[in-house]
Formats: sequence, structure tokens, C-alpha cells
Amino acid sequence: MTEQRARNDDEFKDAGLYKGVHSVDLEEFYTSGHRTCQGCESALVMRGFAKVAGSRTVVTGATGCMYVANTSYMTTPWIVPWMHTQLAAGGASAVGMAAGIKALQRKGKIPKEKINVINFSGDLGAGDEGLGGISGALQTPYDLLIVIYDNESAANTDIQASGLTTWGAQTTFTPSGSKERIMQKRWKKNIAAMMAIGHPNVKYVATACATFPATDYLNKVKKALAAGGPTLLHTIDPCPKGWDYHPRYSNILGELAVKTGIFADYEIINGRVKYTYDLRKRERLPVKKYLEKQGRFSHFAEEDYDYVQSMVDEMWEEWELPGILPIKGGLSVERE
Amino acid sequence: MFEMEELMTGTDAVAHAVRLVDVDVFAAYPIRPYTGVMDRLARFVANGQLDAEYIIADGEHSQFEIGKHASSVGARAFVGSSGTGWLYAMEAIGVTATDRLPVVALVGNRALDDPGAFGVEHNDALLVRDLGWLIAWASTAQEALDNTLIAYRVGEDPRVRMPVAIAMDGGYLTHSEHLVKVPSKEAVKKFLPPYSLGDRVLHPDNPISIAPQANEDWVMEIRRQNYEAAKRSRGVIIDAYREYESVLGIHYDNPFIEELDVEDADVVLIGMGSASVVARSVVREMRNEGKRVGYLKLRWYRPFPSEEIRKSLKNVRSVGILDRNFAMGAPDNQAITSHDIKSSLYESTNHPIVTDFIAGLGGREISRKEIRKMFNLMESGRTEKVYWIGVRE
Amino acid sequence: MSLDTNDLIRLEVNYRGIFQKTLAKHISTDVVYVAHSEGKTAFSNGRYSDDPQRNGVPCANFAYISKSLSEEDLEAEASAAMDIKEAELVIVLDDTMVKGLEPWGHYGIRPINEKVISGGTILFVSSRTPAELSKLFERKSFSYRIATIRGEASFSGLWYFRDDMTDVRVLGAIAKLNPGIASIESVLSYVKSKYKSDQKVEAARTAFEEVTVAEVTPEEGIVWPYPKPVLPGWKEFEEGTVVRAVKRGFSLGPRGQNRNTDFKRGTNRTQRPVVRFDICTKCTLCWASCPDEAFDPTKEGYYDVNYEYCTGCGRCADVCPVDDCIVMVNEMNLTSNESFYNQYLKNPSSYVEEIESIKGKERTIPEHITGKGNIVKRVEKPKAFKEVR
Repeated sequence: MTEQRARNDDEFKDAGLYKGVHSVDLEEFYTSGHRTCQGCESALVMRGFAKVAGSRTVVTGATGCMYVANTSYMTTPWIVPWMHTQLAAGGASAVGMAAGIKALQRKGKIPKEKINVINFSGDLGAGDEGLGGISGALQTPYDLLIVIYDNESAANTDIQASGLTTWGAQTTFTPSGSKERIMQKRWKKNIAAMMAIGHPNVKYVATACATFPATDYLNKVKKALAAGGPTLLHTIDPCPKGWDYHPRYSNILGELAVKTGIFADYEIINGRVKYTYDLRKRERLPVKKYLEKQGRFSHFAEEDYDYVQSMVDEMWEEWELPGILPIKGGLSVERE
Repeated sequence: MFEMEELMTGTDAVAHAVRLVDVDVFAAYPIRPYTGVMDRLARFVANGQLDAEYIIADGEHSQFEIGKHASSVGARAFVGSSGTGWLYAMEAIGVTATDRLPVVALVGNRALDDPGAFGVEHNDALLVRDLGWLIAWASTAQEALDNTLIAYRVGEDPRVRMPVAIAMDGGYLTHSEHLVKVPSKEAVKKFLPPYSLGDRVLHPDNPISIAPQANEDWVMEIRRQNYEAAKRSRGVIIDAYREYESVLGIHYDNPFIEELDVEDADVVLIGMGSASVVARSVVREMRNEGKRVGYLKLRWYRPFPSEEIRKSLKNVRSVGILDRNFAMGAPDNQAITSHDIKSSLYESTNHPIVTDFIAGLGGREISRKEIRKMFNLMESGRTEKVYWIGVRE
Repeated sequence: MSLDTNDLIRLEVNYRGIFQKTLAKHISTDVVYVAHSEGKTAFSNGRYSDDPQRNGVPCANFAYISKSLSEEDLEAEASAAMDIKEAELVIVLDDTMVKGLEPWGHYGIRPINEKVISGGTILFVSSRTPAELSKLFERKSFSYRIATIRGEASFSGLWYFRDDMTDVRVLGAIAKLNPGIASIESVLSYVKSKYKSDQKVEAARTAFEEVTVAEVTPEEGIVWPYPKPVLPGWKEFEEGTVVRAVKRGFSLGPRGQNRNTDFKRGTNRTQRPVVRFDICTKCTLCWASCPDEAFDPTKEGYYDVNYEYCTGCGRCADVCPVDDCIVMVNEMNLTSNESFYNQYLKNPSSYVEEIESIKGKERTIPEHITGKGNIVKRVEKPKAFKEVR
């Protein structure tokens, strides 16, 4: 294990990883003056990748909170070049930019240099409508990064359930009622792993929380941009608005998502898995500690907490790769 | 001035034009009948005749988004589709126009599903007629090549900056082969300036934000800017044809329309696409019989040549529209082109009778006999506003 | 003959996005039902462009009431637009909005009393006196009234909704302030039939009786310091939906980071973080966790809040590992948006003394779920000033 970790870190020795909070760059490339919610975690996702990528970067943002909230016409918080793209076009927008830049550089129409190409898409865009487009992007040879910022709802539209919403959550599409206490009956898609497993050419796929562990997300952006080829990051973004908690507590909710194991925090580097916060070896906190702090689960009965806990337990105790590969261990071979 | 004269399909002709403009990025997704253009472009790349980034997209929506975003970073881009694939891309088609990015797309016209059908119908291209795309219709392979070269010049002009659709009839023009004169690269270079978005390009040296979210304070002004660009495109098209002739010696009497014996005609048929070839042949035949008939072909559908049409039809008694499309429940149950023609004529001093001929849907042939029938109905005084020609009763 | 609109009453409810959404909706809806119960024409709507409501962002609902107009005439007169320009009665559910409203970019910071007409009324839910509030108004050329019902801003939550009776208290006050909307009898009978709760009826009656009203004269208020941006004509801005990015620029120290100058977010704030630089350990967590990039790193390694942009979420206060180093203070207790770090540098000990007196002895810590309210902690003795060498 130690040997493998050394190998993984070695691969990014030139990526300029931050060693501790005080080494983080101070300058912002996504700056104040955006219409995001108080306490918005996704804004920190934007801030983080822009900071790490720096000025030689182009960004597209798929329709969603981080589009609508961030830019109000005639104003923008972006310092790096940024463009809107359609809800399902996250992958394609990155491909279009990367291909265009590559062609122009090869033909000598613009100077040769490394320009980071980044798309961000929310859970609705990336997890549902844009899934195919991101898959397409991950099949290309281009250097590009797709950041899926996941606040678990169409928080831009009125807080409707998406394919990545946690089981049981109240949203405007899944209100708790007198007949049906639980309307959100879909289990969250395992999107990062799905993409990693389905696209073996991709050199770097990771999940992250923007604020926990400190600098981890920023370093994952660095690794993704350094890895080459198409890469993918999936962040869990506590959303004070749609999750109905006080904006002050975004950090603690992100931390609890990781520590309870409901959100698996890992990297897949050239096909090798590295857990960022390895809950196979640490105590997992009860998932209730995470759920009970959010108004969207305020309708939960004990059996609902128990159900979510049992699903999380299964994910960590029975999956072939905990939190990643939901195939249960041991091949079963039919015999005559 | 020309590098060769070669037998080729309409889609091949467009592929040659795309090669000649040295396109930087093209994205493909298969659907008949436009897809031949991508097959040919792929061969150009494989054989080193075209230096471009070639992306096989995961669907038409992505395909058109790739074109749009490539265009936004300053790359010359090409895409295309047909029928239901074109509709699948519709969201991306809409924003390419409102972002004012001069992507060029081939529409190999195809019937919309269901039932699945490969044959030509014009509804696919016509569905985008008001979204901010310029649309040119080709009726011959040579015209397809010419239209494509001109499309890049017009679309990329700083006064315009709008996407352009090159429409052609699927199954007919996309697949039949004709001899086409292919200009030399040098000549094309002389005709078409390098693509530049100026200070609208998305690049780290030009930090901008494109398409921030707007409330009711902004949208109307943005639409007005687009409206003015569409108006300006007329003059830019006229310039482009003049320049095309001076560089390549290829002459068009009028960029927007093509008239055959219209000037002294009593009755005139109006249409576009490959059926024009048949209609022109019939007009020549009937002229020999002493009939005062004419044919008017539309080459540009957007901007719509209202002025040219009014001028052309100022002495005409009766007008027939060859509509290879449907418009369910539309005014007087006539199909799409009728409305644009009638609307143009409202401002005219001459108000001919307008008869709509719905014909050739789903790839059904439009024969000489049927064109003749249309002229005969117009000449003898029509009793209906709409005739379905060639439908089995 | 033009329409007689003399009896038209326009009511605007100003509230903070999402956590006051349900509350504001109750008020604008209830007003319509009560007026209707008296045979009046009425309807309500919300400012469409406020959606999706970001928490903290100022939003508005409207209700329109008339005795004589038909519903169609009322709608044509009152709300063919997405926002209104004038109101007979303006209601404010969070008194910190008196510092200005900036719901969108390129909108400017607008005065809360912008829409109040001559002889109209502006009602606050506030524990402050009318005079404390009206001194922050934009000065107007005419007289109107200010009214208050006592209470702190009610953040009653979204999925979890806490009923603290602010809704019916506002209704009771409305009956007093503008009986043309509805009489108190109608309000009470409506509240009784809707909620079937004597307590809520009582709350409405008490508010009716206790609402404080004062006159605002043309001399009161300030010359509004924030310009109203001009909306350019279609020839006057770039085509292709292009907007110039914020120019790159960073240096250490207060205001060293370039920001979007056309959309400042400080008016989203109900509370603001106040920093004791003298006990700060320079851990970076406040700066790193700020989703509004509002902290400016200083040469000496501290992090100074830019209050023009801070939205007052409280994340910095929550992650700060030093007890009582960053504390959230009600926005009404402070006026300046200038750099506190610069004030600290000028005289560290007097800065500490001053902010400790503003902070007071109570620390209000919210529960995790917004609608569940706050825990109030007492701090008997502030931490002593620590000299930094």
C-alpha cells in the first residue's frame, strides 16, 4: 500500500501540488460579485479550479446554478475567459474548445502553449441530460477537465430532484406527503466511478469535497490538469438552499458526507484506486449525523435513516471496490 | 483557378468546399443522407488532404455544440445533419445563432420521423428559418460547392457573424453525381479571408464572458442586434457573389433568386432545391409550345429575398408554390414557402393569385408530368388554394 | 375616459430569498384572500426574475387590491411589468434591507423606500425604532409613514417551516396601516378560519394594536450614495452576448484583489463577521472557506473581510478554530464597509475595544436546520486584547 501511494504521488511530482494550506495561491481567477447563495459550496468549487488553473484557461459552464447565479447580464465574476453552454453540452463544449485550440495551434494560427480547458456541469446536466456528452468527451484524445459540481438537485430551477439526489430527500419534485412520506425513491447514481469504469483510457478520475480535507480538492484539480487527456472530477457540494440548513454549516456537511461514507472520496489514477479518506480502515460515522442536519430530511422516520445506513453499509462492506464498484466479491461459476 | 473537374455528389461537393476553406474542426454523427459529406471529409483527413480536428460525436446535440464552441475559440467549424438528427441538435442550433457564431452546417433534407424515412422533405431546414441562421438552398452539386464557400465568407463577415445552413435535397442532390469544377486552394484563399472573431474570441489573451444570464432588461436589445445583423447580411451576400465572380469567374445573375423566363410570364412557379432542375426543363418545353410560363428558384431562404420576389413578379397573374414541406393547420392550409411568398407580395402593387402545390414529400419524385400539371392548373384557373400533387387518392 | 385608479392599493413584500420565501408567500396570499372576503378585487404575484431565489438575495412579492376595478383592469394597471415602480404599502421582513437592495447584477444598490409613494407606508418587522431605521432611508421630497412591529427577522426555513406567527402579525398590522386593504375584523375572521388557532388570532390582534407608526418628513434620510446604472441601448453594448471579464489584478492587502465592481453583494447580509486580528492564528480557513472570495490576504498574513462583497453566510465564523475570533454580528450594529484591518492597524487596542462593545455579550448561533432557530450563548468577559509583536 505504501509502495503504491508513493507511486501515485510520484506521478504528479511535477504538478506543483500544494503542501499545506499556506502554500495555496492567493490570487483569484473567479472573484467576488456573483449571485450565489450565502454559504454556497459550489462557488468554492468554481473558485478552486479557477485558482489552480490560472490565467491560461478557458472555461464553459453548463446551464445550472453556477451559470445562472454566477453571471448576471453585463456583469461577470470571471477573470478567465468563460462561456455558457447548454445543460447537456458540458462534454461537447470542452471538446469543441480543446479541438479548436489544438487545430489553431498546430496550424500556427495562435501561439503554442498549454491552455487549460475546463467545463463545469451540475448534477442535473452532467448526471442526467449530459451523461452521453461527457462520455463522448472522455473518449476523445483532448486535454480537458470536466468538473461535476453536485448539489443534488436542480437548485437553479426550484430545487427539483436529479439523478444524483440522495434517496429520500424532499425536493419540489419529491415532496413528502400524507400518503407518501418518501417520494425520492431513486438511489444516487455512482457517476464518477461509472465514468471511470466505462472509459479505461481516462487517466484521472476523482471525487472530492471542496473544503475537506483541506487543499485536497485543489490538488485533485492540479492532478487532473496534469494527467493529460480527458479527466473528470465529481464534487459533493452541500447546498444551504436546497438542503435547507443554515449557510454557516456547509463545511461541516461536506465533511460529514465524507466521514459517514455516503459520499466516497477517492481517486482513480491510471486505473489504480486511491481512497482519499479510507473508510475501510477508519470508523464510519453514522449517516444520521449527516442527514439530521438538513431540512430536506426533516420528514425522515427512524426506518428511513436505517435504510440509508444499510445501503451505505453495503457499499462499504460488500462491494468489490467499496464506494466504487457495486459488484459483490467472488465469482460464481455455474457447474454441470 | 480550378484544380480539377470531377464527378461527385452534392455532399462530396460540400466536402471539397470544406477542405478548400481549410476548416479547423469538424464534428460528425451518422444519419442519411447528409452523412456522405463526413465520410468524404474523413477520407481527406486520412489521406492528409485536410488538416483538421475531426471528432466523432456522441450525438447531434454534442456534434453541433462542438462546432459552436470550436467556433467560439476562433476555429473555423463545420457540422451537419438531416431530418430527425437535425431536430435532435435543435437546442444547439438555437444557441449557435444567438451566440452569433458563424458555423456552417450541411442539411441533407430528409423527412422527419415517424415513420422513419430517408427521402427529402424541407421541414428540417425550414424549422430553423427564424432562429438566426442564414439558409442557402442548392439545386446542383456545383451550386452546393459555391454556396458553401460563400457561406463561410458571409457568415464570418464581422457585419454578420451568423451561422449558415447549406440545404440540399436528400437522396437526389446528396447522392446523384455530376461533374463539378473544384477551385484551387489559392483561389479560395483569395476569396475567403482568414476567420477572425476579433475581440469576441474566447482566448486567455481576450478575457470575456459569453452569454451571461439575462433578465428582461437585456433580451430585447440582444434580439435587436441579431435582427440588424440578419438585415445587414443581404448586402454582404451581394458583395460576396461579386467577389466570387471576380476571383473564380463563376457568375450568378442574382445571388438570391434564379429566374427563368419570368419577365414576360403570366404564370410562374416558385420552388427550391433539386426539383428546380425539372421545373426549368418543363418551362423551356412549354415556352416552345408558346405558353407564357416561368420558374423562379429561391437560392437564399434567409435572408428571404422579398424585394427580388416583388420585382420579379410585378406583372405576373398567377403564382404557384412548389412546397416540398408540410405545415399542418397553417393559414389556408398552405405549406411553408407560400406564406413567405404571400407575405412578401402583400407589400407589392401586383397581387397575383397564389396556389400551393404540396409535392414530393418523403422523397416522392416530382416529375415533368407533375410540373406540367401545376402549370396547367394555374393557367386554367384554379379552384382550390392547395393541391396535393402526386399523392395517391 | 381614462381608468379611475384612485382606490388601487399596491403592496410590496420585501424578503430574503429562500428562507423567507414561504413566509412572504403566506403574507401576499393571505392579503388577497382577506380583501376578497370583503368583496374587493385582488391578486398577487412575485417578482419572476428573483427566481431561483438564492438565500440572502433580496426578493419581492406583490399584492394588488381595488374596490372598484375589474380583475382585468387591475392586472393591466398594476402588474403588466415584472416589477412595480410604486407602492402604497411596502413591507420589509428583514430590517437590514434598510441598507439597500441589490437583487441582480447591473442593478445598483437601491433604497428600500424607493417605491413608497407620498402618504404611503413602509412597515418593518424590527426591534429597532422607526427613527433608527428612517435615518438610513433615501431622502424623499414628500412625507410618508414608517411603521414597525417588534421582532427579529424571521428565517422560518424551507422544507422545515417554523411558524413564529410573523405572517399573521404582519396581517394585523396591515389592517391598521391601510384599512382600505381589509378591516381587522376581516383579518381576524380569516386567520381563525385558516389556522383554527386562537393563538394566531391573538397574535394578529396584538400586532394591530401595537404597531408603531411615525411620520417620515422630507428632511429625513440621506442622499442615496449609490448610483443607479443606466441600461444601454442596443447599439451601445457588444454583440454576441459578450461581456468583458473582470480584469486580472491582485496585490496583498485590503482591496488588493480585483472584483466584479458592477455587482456587489454586501446588501445580502443580515449579519457580518467581525474579526479579532489580535488573536488570529493565520490558519487560512476563513479565507479558504469563503464562497464569495470576500477575504483579502494581507502582507502580515491576516485575512481582512471586504464588506462590500461579504454576504454574511457565517462559514468563516464556523470554521475559525479560535474561540470568539470571528463572530457574526447583526448588520444593523455596524455602518462602515471600510477595511476593518486598516482600522485595526491604526490602533489595535482601541479597535478590539470598539468591536467588543459592538459584539456585546450575546452570541447567536443558528441551529443546523434554518427553521429551528438559534441558540444564544452568553460571553461574560471578552478575551483580553493581545498585543502582536
